[in-house]
Amino acid sequence: MSRLHYIRPETLAEALDHLDRHGRRTKILAGGTDLVVDLRNGAVKPDFILDVSRLSEPKGIEVTAEGVSVGAGVTLAEIESSDVLERHAPALRKCSLTFASRQIRNVATIGGNVAHCSPCGDTVPPLVIHEARAVLASRRGRREVLVEDIASGPYACSLPPDELILRFVLKPAPGVTFADFQKIGRRRELAIARINAAAMARQEPDGRLSFFRFSLGSCMPTPHRMQEVESCLNGQVPTAKLIWEAGRLLAERTIAITGRRPSTIYKESAIQGLFLRMLHPLVRP
Amino acid sequence: MDASSVRIRFTLNGQPRSVEFSADTTALKLIRDVLKLKGTKEGCGIGECGACTVIVDGKAVNSCLILAAQLDGRTVQTIEGLGTPEALHPLQEAFVKKHAVQCGFCTPGLLMSTKALLDKNPAPTRAEISKAIAGNLCRCTGYHHIFASIEEAAHHSKEQT
Repeated sequence: MSRLHYIRPETLAEALDHLDRHGRRTKILAGGTDLVVDLRNGAVKPDFILDVSRLSEPKGIEVTAEGVSVGAGVTLAEIESSDVLERHAPALRKCSLTFASRQIRNVATIGGNVAHCSPCGDTVPPLVIHEARAVLASRRGRREVLVEDIASGPYACSLPPDELILRFVLKPAPGVTFADFQKIGRRRELAIARINAAAMARQEPDGRLSFFRFSLGSCMPTPHRMQEVESCLNGQVPTAKLIWEAGRLLAERTIAITGRRPSTIYKESAIQGLFLRMLHPLVRP
Repeated sequence: MDASSVRIRFTLNGQPRSVEFSADTTALKLIRDVLKLKGTKEGCGIGECGACTVIVDGKAVNSCLILAAQLDGRTVQTIEGLGTPEALHPLQEAFVKKHAVQCGFCTPGLLMSTKALLDKNPAPTRAEISKAIAGNLCRCTGYHHIFASIEEAAHHSKEQT
C-alpha cells in the first residue's frame, strides 16, 4: 500500500517541479473543502497532497491591462469583500454571497471550485460570461485556456496533471449596465445549486441590448455559454414576450443536452422561470 | 490509508504547541483525538452542520474540511479557549441566560461562529447574525433563542465599552 505524503512547497518552482515528477499521483490542495471530503470517502487516493495555499503567486485581485486578474488561491470570502469585483465583475461577487457557508467561504478558493469541475460550481457561470481564461503554469511554461473548456465532464478536469492554475483573467466588459447571478437550491444557505446562471448585458438608452452574455450551470454536464439564447436577445429590445421566448429556447436547448429525465418536468419550467426572473429588470414595454 | 507523519507548530488557545500526526489527519481529528480536546464536535464530517467550527487566524472554519497540516503556523481557538466552567465567556453566559442550549451538540460550533462574527462586527444586525451562523445547524432550538443570546451578548459588550 502506498503512503500519503503532505507537501507544502515554499516556492512556485518547487511546486511545479513536484507536479512535473509526481503530478499523476498528486492531488493539489488549495483550501481543502472539496479534497478533504473526497479523501474521507475514498473517492481519491493520492500518494501526495501538494498544499499550494501558501504560495504568493496565485493570490490577489487586480485590474491589469488584459482585464481583471483573480488569483486561483483567492478565497470566496475575499471575492465577497472585493470592491474591484463589485465594480468589474459583479456577477462573480454576487455568486460568493450564497456560496456554501461562512466557514467554507473563509477557506474555499475560486481555483479549487473551477478545478474540481463540479457541474454546479457557482463561480463558473460568472467566469464564463467574462470569457475568463485560466493562466496555467508548469515546468513546460505557461499557457492559457478558456475556463469554459477546463471541465470535460462532471468532475472531469481536462488539465494535464503537471499544470497548476495561477489565476483567472476576466475580459473587461466596457459599458455593461446589467450583471447578475441567480441560483436555485433546495434551501437558501449551504445549498448546492440545482440550477445556476450568470448574465451580463449592455442596454442602450433606446432599450436595445447591444451586448448580451449568458451562461448556465448545474443542469448540464459542464457549465457553458448558451450562444443561441444570446443571439436571440443580442441587438433586440427585450420585451416580456421576447424574454419569455428566449427562456423557452434556453429550457429546450438544455433538455436537448441532458435528455428527458424524471426531473425534467420540474427543470423545464424552473430554467425558464429563473431566466425570466433574472432578466426581468431589462424588460421594456 | 497508510500515511507518513507531519509535524507542525501552531498556537492553540494561546499556547504554543508542537505536534506530530499522520498526513491524512483532519484538523478536527487532531483537536479531538490527538490533543484530546473534546469540546469540538463531529456532526456530519462533510462541512454541512458546523458542529466542528473552530477559529483559525480570526476566521470561523469547519475543522472537518481542512487537514491538520494546514494549521502549521496558525493561531487556533477552540471552545476550550473561550471560557472556563468557573468563568464563562459573556457569549456563553448569554447562551445560558437566554436558553439557547438544548442538547448542546451544536453549541460549541455556534459559539465559535458567533465569536468570529462579534470580534469583527460587535453590533451585528439580525441579517448579519443569520448569515454568520447559517453554516451551523441546530435541530433543537429553532434558532430563536440563539438569535436572542447573540443579540444579548452584543448588547452587553456594547454597554461595557
